[in-house]
Amino acid sequence: MYTMTNVTRLYQKGRHTVPAVRDVNLDIPDGDWLAVQGRTGHGKTTLLQLLGGLDHATSGSITLDGQDLTRMREAQVTRLRATSIGFVFQTFNLVQTLTAADNVEAALIPLGMGWAERRRRTAEALDSVGLSDRARHLPSELSGGQQQRVAIARALVKEPKVLLADEPTGNLDEDTREDIMALLEKLWREHGLTMVLVTHETVIARRALRIAVMSKGRLAIRSSPGEATNNLVGEIGEPLS
Amino acid sequence: MSADTEVQQAAGNRPVYAGGRSFFLRYLGRELGRRARQAIVIALGLALGIGLVITVSAAADGVKNAQASVLHSLYGVGTDITVTESPSAGSGAKGHHTSISIQGGPGSKPTVCINGKCSTGAQNIANLVSANKGTLSYSDIAKIEKLAHVSAAAGGLALSDTDISISSNSAGPPTQFTVQGVDLSHADLGPLSSATLSSGHTFTTSDANSDVAIIDSSYATANKLKVGSYVTVAKTKFKVIGVVTQSAASDPPDVFIPLARAQALGSANLGGGSLKGYVNTIYVTTASSADISAVSKEIKALLPSATVTTPSSLASEINGSLGSAAKLAGDLGTWLSILVLVAAFAVAGLLTMSAVSRRAREFGTLKAIGWRSRRIIGQVMGESVTTGLIGGAIGIGLGFLGAFIIDKIAPSLTATITNDSGLKFAQSTSGGPGPVAVGGSPLGGTTQNIPVHWSASVTLAVIGLAVLLAIVGGLLSGALGSWRITQLRPADALARVD
Repeated sequence: MYTMTNVTRLYQKGRHTVPAVRDVNLDIPDGDWLAVQGRTGHGKTTLLQLLGGLDHATSGSITLDGQDLTRMREAQVTRLRATSIGFVFQTFNLVQTLTAADNVEAALIPLGMGWAERRRRTAEALDSVGLSDRARHLPSELSGGQQQRVAIARALVKEPKVLLADEPTGNLDEDTREDIMALLEKLWREHGLTMVLVTHETVIARRALRIAVMSKGRLAIRSSPGEATNNLVGEIGEPLS
Repeated sequence: MSADTEVQQAAGNRPVYAGGRSFFLRYLGRELGRRARQAIVIALGLALGIGLVITVSAAADGVKNAQASVLHSLYGVGTDITVTESPSAGSGAKGHHTSISIQGGPGSKPTVCINGKCSTGAQNIANLVSANKGTLSYSDIAKIEKLAHVSAAAGGLALSDTDISISSNSAGPPTQFTVQGVDLSHADLGPLSSATLSSGHTFTTSDANSDVAIIDSSYATANKLKVGSYVTVAKTKFKVIGVVTQSAASDPPDVFIPLARAQALGSANLGGGSLKGYVNTIYVTTASSADISAVSKEIKALLPSATVTTPSSLASEINGSLGSAAKLAGDLGTWLSILVLVAAFAVAGLLTMSAVSRRAREFGTLKAIGWRSRRIIGQVMGESVTTGLIGGAIGIGLGFLGAFIIDKIAPSLTATITNDSGLKFAQSTSGGPGPVAVGGSPLGGTTQNIPVHWSASVTLAVIGLAVLLAIVGGLLSGALGSWRITQLRPADALARVD
C-alpha cells in the first residue's frame, strides 16, 4: 500500500528550520493497522498529513499503490483523497451548518454520483455507525462521540482503501473513547481497510497490529504491540510516558 | 418537554434534503442562514449603492425628460433639427434699429414715421412681423427633404402681432401676441404637433388659404375667446375653429393660422418686406436619431448661412434651475453613486475575505475529503452572488422609494432660455407728446423662464443595471474571498483554530 523512502519535512520558522519529519522510511502493507505514537509536537500529525497528501515532503518519496504522491499535481492528489483516502480528525471537523447526513454526503460530492446513489450510501454509512436516527441533526445537537461517529461515516462512505485517523479519541471521555475504538476496529475488519492511527495514548496504540513511535521527527517501527513502550528507551533516546 | 425531545423535534422538523437534490443549494442556504447578520450587512451595503444608482439614474432621466419636454414644446414632437436664419442688416431686429417717430401736439394730428415713411392723422399701427428671425426660401424645404436620411421637412413662420393706437393726445399701450404660420402639408411637424386639442377641430389641407385659426387655451381664457369667436391678426378677422392646450414648458404661440395666410399678411420687419414664398423656421425629421449629426452637416453645407439646431445643442442652452438640476444629477449624482458603490463593493469584499478566513478549517477539511479548490470557490461565489442579488432586490426597492420621494418633494424647476425678441417699447418721458421711439434694442433679448415639472422615473434599463451591479458586486466579493481559498494549504488550514 504505502512506501515512504527517506521522507523529510522541514518548516521554516523565521530564521530557524524545524524538521517535523526526518528521514522516515516506512512500509505499510494492505490491510495493516499501524498506530503512530509519540509526544505532542514530535511529527505524528505531519506524518499523517504526508501520507494523506495534505502536505508536501521536502525530500524523499511517498508512494501509494505505486503512485508517487510527491510527484503528483495538486488536482491528482485531491482526486486520490476523494476516492481512496478517508480522514478522521481529533476535533471531528464537521461542517457546523450541515446536518449529519449532509456532512457524510459531502464526501461523495467530488465523486460525481447521482443524488439517489448519494442518499443511499449516506444512509448506509450512518447506519453502520449506529446514527440513522441522527441524520437530520446538526453537529451542535450531537455529543462528542456522535460527532466522531459522523466523521467516521464520512470517511468510510466512499469506501476508501486507507483510513487516516489523527487522535480520533483525543477529545472524548473514556467510555466514549472505548466505543469509538471498538467501532474503528470493527469497520477496519469489515471493510478490509489499511488504517494508520495517530495517538499519544499507549492503551489506544496497543489495539493496533503494529506500533510506530515518532520522536523528534524520527520514526521507529515495532512489529508487535508489546514492544512499544518497553524497548524504545535508548533506541530513540526519549522514554515515552 | 425535555431538552432532548426539543432537539429531536427540531431535527425532525428539519428536512433531510431541504434545497432538494442540490447539495450546493443546501450548503449555500445553510451557510447564509448561519451568517445571516453578516450577509445582511453586505446586502444592505450593496443595496445602498445600488439604490443610489437607481435614484440618481431616475432623477437624471427625469431631468432629461423635462429637457425633452421643453424642446418638444419649443419645436414640436418629432422634430430632430430646426433650421433658422439670422436677421439680415437693416431688418429692424436683433441689434438693427427700426425707427418709429411720432410728432404732433395736443389737438393736432399726429404724424407717424416708420423708417422714414410718414403718415398723418390718428391711426392704428398693426404689424405682423417675423419674430427676430431671418427668412428662408420655401423652396429650401424641398431641397432639404431630398437629402439622405431625411424623413420629412416642413416650414413655419413665427410672427409677432403688435397693435398700437395713436390719437392726437396719446399713443396707447401696445398689445402683442404671437402667431405661428402652420405648413398644412406637414401639420405633424412644428409647435402645433405637441399641442392637445381641447375643443373644436384642427386644420385640414383645404384650410390652406382660409382665415381660420386655432388658439392657445390660456390665450382664449385671457381674451374670452372660444370656438366660433374671431381673432384679429394683422387687421384681418380669423374664425377660431379649435382651441389647444400646450405644455407650460415653453412660450407657446398664442394663435396658429395657415402658413399661406401668415405669408400673405406678415412682413419681414417693421419697415415691410413681403413674406410670400418665405418661412423663418424649417423643421426636419431624420430617419433615426443616429442620423441627426450627419443630416445637420448636410443642411449646413446646403445652406451655409443658416443656423442648424439639434436637441443636443439646444439642451446646452437651457439654463435656470433645470440646468442646475441636470448638472446635479449628472455630475455630483453620478460621482456620489460611483463612490458609494465602490465603498459597498469594498466592504462586501473585505467581509467575504474575513468570512473565508474564519472558515479556513472547514475548507481545509473539504479539501481533505477530496473537494477541489474550484468547487469550494464555486460555493463561496454562489454565497456572494446570492447576497449580491438580495442586496440588488433591496436596492431596487430603495431606488423606487428614492424616485417616489423625488416625485413628491422635488421643487418646481425653471428652464431659462434666452430669446432675443428685438422689440422694445418706450414712452417719451419729457412731459408732452413728442417723439416716441419704438424700435429694436441694441442690447436685444428677453429671457423666458419656463416652469418644468421634474419627475423621477425608474426604467427597465435601470432595473437591469441594478441587477447587473448586484451580480458584479457579488462576483467581486466572492473573487476576493476565493483568492484566499486558492492560497490555502490543507495542512495549514486544518491547523487553524476556530
